[in-house]
Amino acid sequence: MSKPLVVFDKVQKHFGNFVAVKELDFEIREGEFLAIMGPSGCGKTTTLRMLAGLEAPSVGEIRLNDHVMNDVAPHERDTPLVWQSLALFPFLTARENVEFGLKMRGVDKAERRKRALKWLDKMDILEFADRDISTLSGGQKQRVALARSLVMEPQILLLDEPLSALDAHLVIRMQAVLTDLQRELGITFVYVTHSQSEAFAMADRVIIMGKGEIAQIGSPKDIYREPANQFVAEFVGRNNILSGKVASLSDDTARIATPSGDFTVPTKEVHLVKGQKASFVISADLLHISIDEPDARNKAHCKLISEEFVGSMVTLFLENSTGHEFKVQMQERELSKFDLKSGAEIWLSWDTASAHVLNEN
Amino acid sequence: MNPSRSLNVILGIYVAMVFAFVFAPIVFSMIFSFNSQRFPTIPLGEFTTEWYAKILADPDVWEAALNSLIVSCSTAVIATFLGFCTAYSDFRYNFRFKGPYLALILLPPTIPLIIMALAMLAWFSKIGMSGQIYSIIIAHSVLTAPFAMAVIRLRLNQMDPDLESAAWNLGGSEWQTMRYVIIPFCKPAIFSALFLTAAVSFDEFAVSWFVSGLNKTLPVIILEIVQGNIDPQVNAIGTFVFLISMTLVVLAQVFFASRQLKSIKT
Amino acid sequence: MLSSSGRKFNLYALTWRLPIIFWQFIFFVGPVLFMVAMSFFLVKNYRMTEAFEFVNWSKMLSRGYFWDSYWYTVFIAGVSTICAMCIAFPAAFALAFRASESTRRWAIFLLIIPFFTSYLVRTFSWFVILSESGVINGMLGYIGLGPYTMLNTSFGTLVGYMTLTLPLVVILQTVTMANIDKNLIEAARNLGCSAFRTIWQVIIPLSKTGLIIAAIFCFILSFGDFVAPFYLGGSQEPTLPILILDTTKSGQQWPRAAVVAIMMMATLFAIAFAGIALAYRKKKGAK
Repeated sequence: MSKPLVVFDKVQKHFGNFVAVKELDFEIREGEFLAIMGPSGCGKTTTLRMLAGLEAPSVGEIRLNDHVMNDVAPHERDTPLVWQSLALFPFLTARENVEFGLKMRGVDKAERRKRALKWLDKMDILEFADRDISTLSGGQKQRVALARSLVMEPQILLLDEPLSALDAHLVIRMQAVLTDLQRELGITFVYVTHSQSEAFAMADRVIIMGKGEIAQIGSPKDIYREPANQFVAEFVGRNNILSGKVASLSDDTARIATPSGDFTVPTKEVHLVKGQKASFVISADLLHISIDEPDARNKAHCKLISEEFVGSMVTLFLENSTGHEFKVQMQERELSKFDLKSGAEIWLSWDTASAHVLNEN
Repeated sequence: MNPSRSLNVILGIYVAMVFAFVFAPIVFSMIFSFNSQRFPTIPLGEFTTEWYAKILADPDVWEAALNSLIVSCSTAVIATFLGFCTAYSDFRYNFRFKGPYLALILLPPTIPLIIMALAMLAWFSKIGMSGQIYSIIIAHSVLTAPFAMAVIRLRLNQMDPDLESAAWNLGGSEWQTMRYVIIPFCKPAIFSALFLTAAVSFDEFAVSWFVSGLNKTLPVIILEIVQGNIDPQVNAIGTFVFLISMTLVVLAQVFFASRQLKSIKT
Repeated sequence: MLSSSGRKFNLYALTWRLPIIFWQFIFFVGPVLFMVAMSFFLVKNYRMTEAFEFVNWSKMLSRGYFWDSYWYTVFIAGVSTICAMCIAFPAAFALAFRASESTRRWAIFLLIIPFFTSYLVRTFSWFVILSESGVINGMLGYIGLGPYTMLNTSFGTLVGYMTLTLPLVVILQTVTMANIDKNLIEAARNLGCSAFRTIWQVIIPLSKTGLIIAAIFCFILSFGDFVAPFYLGGSQEPTLPILILDTTKSGQQWPRAAVVAIMMMATLFAIAFAGIALAYRKKKGAK
């Protein structure tokens, strides 16, 4: 795409005996929307704080525009951060909050005011410019926090779970605001979140972190369809994971014996040996259901346990005779053709190409 | 229900009696200050402002009032500065010997004043600083800094821990952040601490008496009058001192409470 | 936060850390250590000379009047503590369990006021109230009683101590008991505990730590106060603070006063540590 803006070169971070970040080796490209996602305690926030200079790497280098940043004080960097807590200054008005960074940089009063108002306007909160922070709603505060960082006109904007305090409907609205902004400004966004929906909805690339390490880097689609390993597959959710032993091998497929039956998987991208353990995933939306036994190489007979509706999408939770749980995602109107009741017996099937073999680790 | 009700009534009367005991000397002192009798008793004598007229005409009282004013204002500033520095260090940093460090500031109020008075008197004589107004100021700052520290530390506890980092992140150096974020945030507590330490200093008599030399403060004047005989002037001065202390305490409370209301809203 | 404190020299950090260290070393640690040193100095011709002799210690500790005074002070401060704890308890109980949240807050605010009023003036006020022709005897006279001598007695001293300590003890007891989980008390009552047994077997054990701390504060305040025993007690039996006062103000015997002061501090530390150990003993056992 384009040249790297930020390079993490074998970066580690220890707090005493606790290793927060084991080893990070990745690049952030100019102008991309990068999401860093992982469960709490995976080191994602520490990674962001190292980028902002709030923590110093214990080992390795962080380079921004080819400059080594390790010893640059936080206030000498141009890496504004949007905080999870927002960290707005409670004793200042909305406008004064936005002006804060410019004031620290010695921009004169008139210019400061002009630029602050421009950004408040851009964020649609101009009318609240002279209000106390405590009188603003959650969404308005969020916009002030964004304006406060963007008024610095940075090359890169860091966001640490900025939407976690908002109501669900506001989250969707702010996601649109953020993606539009990022496209319009063309600057790099680094967005830390534990929410898959936020990361997948907005990001160009996603880094999945687990236990201080990168588990996978890729586009949302890659990660969803082809999780690199079991950790990612489980973290992403809405996946069906089956494990067993390789029973037989052919040119570009393998037959894997699992407690739930024997299944065929593609082996173009992996090397399998007969008898070895193997796991594979099938995304929940790639499973088909039928009442009668289908004529397919991969099928499972299951009982319907429960259904979960989110808008027009529905997730079915099924269980086979060995107790293995399957998840199926489909359009509600598609499901209505079947007229299923809880406890109904149905068949699942999928195309061999839908399965994705996981790397063992 | 009935025994519990009568118990409540008895407890209510009891609480009222305890409060009566606590406030009796304050109230009587005020009443006596307007009472014409030299040895007040029941029934009370006539209303008079004689004692107030007397103290207002007494140059010693004026001088003592001025000394008290200087001492309590200076003490407030020094103690609040020291308290702020310590509260901030405790809030921001972890370092070795932090326990002893905190003990250093918090210990003085647990030592009886008479002992502090003796120790201060001896030490100030030794280093040639005794008998001055600044001797009282220094001693009072040691005694009152813990109160300032406590008030400001409580305020810092209410601060979003990201606030300081947010200011650095926006290009503020540590010093700028102190100037534009920490101090504005602590402002209500700083005022609260100023009034509180001023009030404590304004009433302190034991250490002042020992180290003041000829520079008497109002409480020292009271002490000396009381030593002589019964003189209702004491009540007049006492009422005056009480009103000033109360004003300071109420102001401290107002600053303390107003910021708590505000922090609930945010 | 950790990263910036790790550097060797940090001007910013030291700016905030050092002032109190300098100030307290010069004006708090200095005086206290000097007082200890002073207890070994000599006084010749009304002038103190620096020395290292045990003469002050041996003189003070071998005198009967010092030990009389010592035990009297311990005794009267102990009596004061018991009185204050007992007088305060029903009031604190009422405020903690029978009063509304806002009443309690107001009560505590009112009880803070006395700390900021001149203790001297309050004592003087008692002096007038309690005197033989004072307000109380005046009132008792109407019903044909008295006059009673209340000043220059241990009773007078105790009234002064109560003036000093009662507000604090009520506050500490109230706060401690208000923090007890009310459900535990309900449970005890439901299980058939009588009101007094509930107090004795549930409330007091649960608020033990706070009660002991209140008692320690009360003891420290009474033990170190010279105003009440001097003006209301008449100092016929001088307490240790009065001994310090007399030896310092009139006798020029600062080293001997220092001996008394150190003995006082040692006693207070011993009692405070014993009290704290007692207060937290049960918690350790529970682990």
